[in-house]
Amino acid sequence: MDNELKGRRFLVVEDEYLIAADLAAYLEGLGIEVVGPASSVKEALTILKSDQGTIDGAVLDINLQNHRVYPVADLLRSRGVPFVFTTGYDATVVPNCYADVPRCDKPVDEHRLVRCLREATHHLET
Amino acid sequence: MPGTKEELFELLVESSTDFGIFTMDPGGSITSWNSGAERLFGYSEPEIIGRSADAIFTPEDRAEGVPRREREVARRDGRAADERWHQRKDASRFWASGVLMRLKGNGGFAKIARDRTDQHLAGERLRESEQRFRLLATSIPQLVFLTKPNGERTWPSPQWISFTGLGFDQSLGLNWLEAIHPDDRETTQKAWDDARSNGEYYVEHRIKRHAQGDYLWHQTRAKPLEGARSLDSDWVGTMTDIDDLRGLQSRQQVLTAELQHRTRNLLSVVQAIANQTLRSSISLASFKTQFASRLRAISRVQSLLAQVEDHVVDLRDLVAAELAAHSEADLTSEKIRVNGPPVSLPATAAQALALALHELATNAVKYGALSQPGGKLDVRWEVKDRKPTSEVALKWQEAGISIAKAPERKGYGRELIERALPYQLNAKTELEFTADGVRCEIIVPVSAEPTHG
Repeated sequence: MDNELKGRRFLVVEDEYLIAADLAAYLEGLGIEVVGPASSVKEALTILKSDQGTIDGAVLDINLQNHRVYPVADLLRSRGVPFVFTTGYDATVVPNCYADVPRCDKPVDEHRLVRCLREATHHLET
Repeated sequence: MPGTKEELFELLVESSTDFGIFTMDPGGSITSWNSGAERLFGYSEPEIIGRSADAIFTPEDRAEGVPRREREVARRDGRAADERWHQRKDASRFWASGVLMRLKGNGGFAKIARDRTDQHLAGERLRESEQRFRLLATSIPQLVFLTKPNGERTWPSPQWISFTGLGFDQSLGLNWLEAIHPDDRETTQKAWDDARSNGEYYVEHRIKRHAQGDYLWHQTRAKPLEGARSLDSDWVGTMTDIDDLRGLQSRQQVLTAELQHRTRNLLSVVQAIANQTLRSSISLASFKTQFASRLRAISRVQSLLAQVEDHVVDLRDLVAAELAAHSEADLTSEKIRVNGPPVSLPATAAQALALALHELATNAVKYGALSQPGGKLDVRWEVKDRKPTSEVALKWQEAGISIAKAPERKGYGRELIERALPYQLNAKTELEFTADGVRCEIIVPVSAEPTHG
């Protein structure tokens, strides 16, 4: 169990079921409450719009059925909710405005993902 | 002192060996002939005096009446220029540059001429080479220009003018920058700073095509003209259309990025399958069997996808490949019937369906219709037109067997069919384990527009 992450609510956005289910199972094993997973931009935005500010962070796949996840990223950013990208794309494909967003290349190294999530949510501690 | 002036004059005329100087009477007969004229034309004074000066012209000019016309001009205007090929006594020719002057006293003429053959030929060669340059510069598909080393243009080729729609004068100096894409002007000008130190100008930039109003990528190079004495002399440059090339390059970059994305995604799927299989395996041996079997199912759909160019797989090929992978499933036997119209499936749908079909087939071979002699398997599908998307309804139905106890399994197959397909493909699914085998219905929306995962 990870004390820093335990009990946190994380939105997972990933269009491939097998990856989403595997990721959710892993996060739940850390004591994280998984919101979603959402397989599309539309679904993720619907979840966020009905959320009452209880989401602590998000793990976002960049390419969702040929749509980019950026509208979700922008909404999270406007609310000050930290997030990380998981992606099969090279860093050069990600627009400059998201250069500061932590990225975990696929296939995801789980230890790296946890490190990224801890760093992303660190300021929530204080 | 009378006489001295005349003496001086005669001395001058005689010693001017580089100039042929002679006089004629009004009719054109030669009356005096200096040593320069003898050297130039090859006639001695005694043999030419009294003869017509027409002898030094070429036969062609004589036939055309050139000598007579020259005298008429000199008579009228006081002088006539004589720039043309002349003929020596031995019929050899040289280019003479001279002048015929009217003499006031007797109405006769004096002519002074020089041999300018070398200069004339050099000039002609220069003209020819300039003509060749112009012919070349105005015929090749590139846009050509002459420029100062600071980028100020001194000559734009007609191709540039017709491509950009800028006139000749509008293209001179730095005015030509008007046709360069505003975002590329800075790099275009900066490249001239580097050009002096490199001895060569090079830039890739977009040039406005007047006719269509669009910008096309060009590669522009310039170098000092050959034989230029200093860096300050003229440079010659070409602008080559590389728009198609740039298009291909950026398309290739997109394709490479997509390929990388797909490969990494596929590896993630394999990783997820490995984790999932590991969680449900009672031993490493059973993990090995199940994982290898699932990996082969993914590998089959990948090779189907690799065989087609547009990343679209036909449903029948997918079903046939999955069943054929099980030696127990003989497609030609009475046991199995596969029936349905052609349906194109995009890559993501194909992969998810293939994994689900794999679990169904594995289950049928182990416990279901393909595990008992009397068992029958019927796989059929139909396409239903719905707006805005169509639906494929696939039915997997086993019969003719008896299973003692219908398994209420929470297996991987059930998860794939009941959760993965709805999650990923918006499919509606039903799965039932009955006493005479599995019944499964999968309804997948298929859009006319292929999607790529």
